[in-house]
Amino acid sequence: MNRTSPRQPSPAPARPVVAVLAPLASIILPGIGQALAGAWRRGLLLLVSLATILGLLAWRVRIVGRREEDITGMVRKAFDLQPILLVVAIGAALIYLWIILDAYLAARRLRGANSVGLWALILAVYFALGWQIGDINLVTLATQSRDAAPFMERILWPWEAAVHHEEVLLVGRAEIRIPCSGTPPAPIEPAEGQPSLVAEPSCGELSAQEGAPGTTLTITGRGFAPNTETEIWWMDELRNEFRQRQAGEYVKVTTDAQGSFQLDIIIPYRLIPPAEASAYSTWQLMARQVAAVGPAEPSETLLLAIEKMIETIFLGMMATLFGIILSIPVSFLAARNLMSGSKLTLVVYYLTRTILNIIRSIEPLIWAVIAIIVVGLGPFAGIVALTVHSIAALGKLYSEAIESIDPGPIEAIQATGANWLQTIVFGVVPQVVPPFVSFTIYRWDINVRMSTVIGLVGGGGIGFLLIQWIHLLDYRAAGIAVWFISITVAILDFVSSEIRRRFV
Amino acid sequence: MLDVRHLTKVYPDGTVALKDVSFQVPDGEFLVIIGLSGSGKSTLLRCINRLIDPTEGEIVWDGVDLAQLKGEELRMARRHIGMVFQQFNLVKRSKVVTNVLAGRLGYTPSWRSLVGRFAAEDLELARQAMSRLGITPQAQKRADELSGGQQQRVGIARALMQAPKIILADEPVASLDPVLAHSILSHLERLNQEDQISILCSLHYLDLVQRYATSVIGLREGRLVYRGTRDDIRRMTDGQFKEIYGEEAERAGGLVGELAPASGGAQ
Repeated sequence: MNRTSPRQPSPAPARPVVAVLAPLASIILPGIGQALAGAWRRGLLLLVSLATILGLLAWRVRIVGRREEDITGMVRKAFDLQPILLVVAIGAALIYLWIILDAYLAARRLRGANSVGLWALILAVYFALGWQIGDINLVTLATQSRDAAPFMERILWPWEAAVHHEEVLLVGRAEIRIPCSGTPPAPIEPAEGQPSLVAEPSCGELSAQEGAPGTTLTITGRGFAPNTETEIWWMDELRNEFRQRQAGEYVKVTTDAQGSFQLDIIIPYRLIPPAEASAYSTWQLMARQVAAVGPAEPSETLLLAIEKMIETIFLGMMATLFGIILSIPVSFLAARNLMSGSKLTLVVYYLTRTILNIIRSIEPLIWAVIAIIVVGLGPFAGIVALTVHSIAALGKLYSEAIESIDPGPIEAIQATGANWLQTIVFGVVPQVVPPFVSFTIYRWDINVRMSTVIGLVGGGGIGFLLIQWIHLLDYRAAGIAVWFISITVAILDFVSSEIRRRFV
Repeated sequence: MLDVRHLTKVYPDGTVALKDVSFQVPDGEFLVIIGLSGSGKSTLLRCINRLIDPTEGEIVWDGVDLAQLKGEELRMARRHIGMVFQQFNLVKRSKVVTNVLAGRLGYTPSWRSLVGRFAAEDLELARQAMSRLGITPQAQKRADELSGGQQQRVGIARALMQAPKIILADEPVASLDPVLAHSILSHLERLNQEDQISILCSLHYLDLVQRYATSVIGLREGRLVYRGTRDDIRRMTDGQFKEIYGEEAERAGGLVGELAPASGGAQ
């Protein structure tokens, strides 16, 4: 038996001159040595690799080290700010040296030439460059994700925004005489259904501008809605309303389970125009809260999201319908087995295929932008965009289904004396219907999913709503939209795979 | 009487599949065609019902040259020529009964077949054909749920639906094991004997040839190299068989004579 070892085709043994010249050549221009030693393809590849690495490195150094005058400063700044560039530079140097070594080994026909290690190193340097170019910053990811938690929480569990209660304003009032003199005002008897507020004492001095604090009042509220945030407001003698601030913050208190609270506040500073100043005045202290009463009902947000979700599903359905209708005739033109009859039909075949490929390679999102220019914002633009893309995608899938039919049954049906139409109905249709159905359902699934994205650029449906809510920073509403999209897509996924499993 | 005269087929790529082949098949004959793969057996059979157009020659059947027929005439002629295939060529996703009824398409107007409504007589014919081939219990199953032997019987039932005067069988048992081969061939033999349908069948195994053929022709590289009667074949030894056939010839199994035609339903 012959033992054949895998060896590169090396017809002539290396001449000794080449053995010396090769590494020298690679010192001047990396890769030339390999070319001299016969492996010119490898040499070229190495040269291109190293040149690309150096080019990319220079570009990144220039960007990171900009605003430095000289090159040394630029390089130092770049390496300082982005140490990974230093790693890349060292890698490039190693590759350079390795190429020289490789040229020597190749020229001498020694083992170790064309080592996997060299290619691995080149690849590693590319990835290091990719890390830098991609601006990857794991520290940011780790530290800032905590700050984003409140927003994430709203998106992940947005359902508070899905219910709505009728709201009432509850206000407890107390009168405060400023300054104290005579009989302090008695607590106000609250109106029917309104809470009561009692201040103790019910008179006092304002805070001074220079910092002497005013009188501390202990206020007690009763009959408020339980566990609800309550704001403290004042109305001065000029009937101007303002909120109580303490240490720069608005004062807020949350009522207990019985709807009561107790709180100490300091009478604030207030500049009263001299013309209006009087010896005594009566201010009003108010505790206000917005309380939810009545049963929970679906919120505006929820209803809107449901509406738009339905719009989205139908948008996908209509696009699929138009896609099917238009792609079936196209698919016959794009089926090679049907179109290889003559030169003319073959030209039609190639033309159809090319157009389909071009249309398919343009994302539905871009088609939507184009469609909006033509038909304006709204669901119709989305339908047009998805239809165009569906025709291309389904046309290709259908035509491949037609191409893969078994010619045997067709031959057999023809042999019975059946005519052309009968052959199609009995021989071709039963073979292509299951794949057609399968592809169609798959496409419907894709179209509904895509229609959520189409909305982002104004193509109607829930995507439009979602992007608006995100821009308004209404993360709860956005969260509801995201939930609806995920639920719909999950259901659709299940349904479509189920139908396909049963049908095919 | 089928009279094939000087039949030649050259494919567009230059392959000469048949070269000046002439032979006769008297009515009621069970003619077996032997020959290696690529010797032209399939091409010969497909030329007769014009699934392939011959390059030269005549195929005269009942005074009509099949090689010259076109369009409607060809369709009418095809109705009386059944065909059975090595790969059965059933529409796999259709029901067995639909596949059998497809044999009737040549007699059915287009609009009827479009809506899938066959005449009551056709349904009755299908019932009889399926019962004759023992596939009645499978009538409502999808064709691809059936075993190979059952599928080939559906294929024969489809051919039988055409009320054929001749059946072309292109290696009908090459995809089946020896026991099934006997079962299928004895079905064909019964059609041959009971309905006087001529059978043209290509086969590989000498013992099957000896058991079923009433006459034999041998093809090699597109040429007719052997012609023999029933008695010629009975006397033929393995050595002679290999001589016309090549080294790949072999016997299907020692079943000759053990399996009576009546037990054809076995599988």
